[in-house]
Amino acid sequence: MGRKLKFNIFRYNPQDPDSVPHTDTFQLEETESMTLFIALTQIREEQDPSLQFDFCCRAGICGACAMIINGRPNLACKTLTDDLPAEITLMPLPIFKLIGDLSVDTGTWFREMNENVESWVHTSKTFDLEAEEERMDNSLAEEIYELERCVECGCCVAACGTANMREDFVGAVAMNRIARFMMDPRDQRTGSEYFEVIGTDEGIFGCMGLLGCEDVCPKQLPLQDQLGILRLKMGWSAIKHLFRIK
Amino acid sequence: MTIDITMYVRAPSRISAYLDWLQMLTGAGLILFMWSHMIMVSSVILGPGVMNALAEFLEEYYMAQVGGPIVAFIFLLHFVLAARKVPFRAEQQSTVWKLSRQLRHTDTWLWMIQAFTAMIILIMGSAHMWTVLSDFPITAAKSAARVQGGFWLVFYLILLPMVELHVGIGFYRIAVKWGFIRRKGRKGFKRFENILTAIFIVIGLVTLARFWFLALPK
Repeated sequence: MGRKLKFNIFRYNPQDPDSVPHTDTFQLEETESMTLFIALTQIREEQDPSLQFDFCCRAGICGACAMIINGRPNLACKTLTDDLPAEITLMPLPIFKLIGDLSVDTGTWFREMNENVESWVHTSKTFDLEAEEERMDNSLAEEIYELERCVECGCCVAACGTANMREDFVGAVAMNRIARFMMDPRDQRTGSEYFEVIGTDEGIFGCMGLLGCEDVCPKQLPLQDQLGILRLKMGWSAIKHLFRIK
Repeated sequence: MTIDITMYVRAPSRISAYLDWLQMLTGAGLILFMWSHMIMVSSVILGPGVMNALAEFLEEYYMAQVGGPIVAFIFLLHFVLAARKVPFRAEQQSTVWKLSRQLRHTDTWLWMIQAFTAMIILIMGSAHMWTVLSDFPITAAKSAARVQGGFWLVFYLILLPMVELHVGIGFYRIAVKWGFIRRKGRKGFKRFENILTAIFIVIGLVTLARFWFLALPK
């Protein structure tokens, strides 16, 4: 016999004028290797078909199922109920637009963020479809890949003190994106061009170093390191500009 | 409300970077000052003569008379710079309070402590600086008389942990924020910072006890 799990789940449908934010409680018997994905699906199938939550890959790759699990943002699909107490409280991610219950629209936020930090390779070279791809050092490719592992789940943004207080703050995910392009030799942006994008109080200098992002990232991305490197780089770039050093 | 199109584009500016540098450098300067300040005041543990000689030396060359107001200025500058990040609107305060309680995340709590102690230090630190800097020369007997009066003992028993917590957390924060300490070294550095804070609080308490029991000249 597994444990009796008690789920307190936030419920609200912003589309329905009669809906009021409240918490619904569901009971469930724990089964072996149960993830929150399995539990939520079971609740929806057996107890309440109107329960809204997002899932896609069920393997921690798509980032769709991020939610606040007992106070901390994490991916529901890779959270085992076994690691949680018998009472589990689930809330939608803050900051992002609520679609309903546990489902939020991270897409709009991430699209805007990616546009703001111009999250693509900037190059004046014309792409030659026939030509062989430019070679890149393997260790560099691996370093870039390490940052590319981001699944844009939104956990780092939800756990960020600054992002929670100020909606204009771009969050660790954006710094991670920029750090990735700064590493990429194909991106021809200069230091001052990167500075324009990220060297502001909405960017790296708005970060207060609370490291919530670092500690909740379900993919264990090196956010602390990237934020530190970026702050130093951008800081030096400003000092060089001040003293007209090339 | 989001505006999609605007005719005005903000001119690129480096002001955020300069202010962040200044915030960090004033903070680092104050950390170094607070450590040396505590070590110098604690010289009374070795004997009032040692502290008097140190104070006399600093005053002889006007280091205290000039340095004091400079430190006071840096202190205020650091407050103004760091306050840019402290939530003063009730809505932001409530958001960050809820986040801290919900997240149960040490570093977020450490920041809350940093912001809270900052306000106490701003008031009590100013009062302390005014009292000391307006009553030269600094002597062990005068400090002991203040502490033995009772009011200042309570005052310093509050101010001491506030300052040491703020200084210790600030030291840690600068290191992780500016990339001097990376992921690998974070845990160890945090432990080092905790021990350092505890050591300075103990030195401060012993110093206060020494002042409390120092025989005052009749």
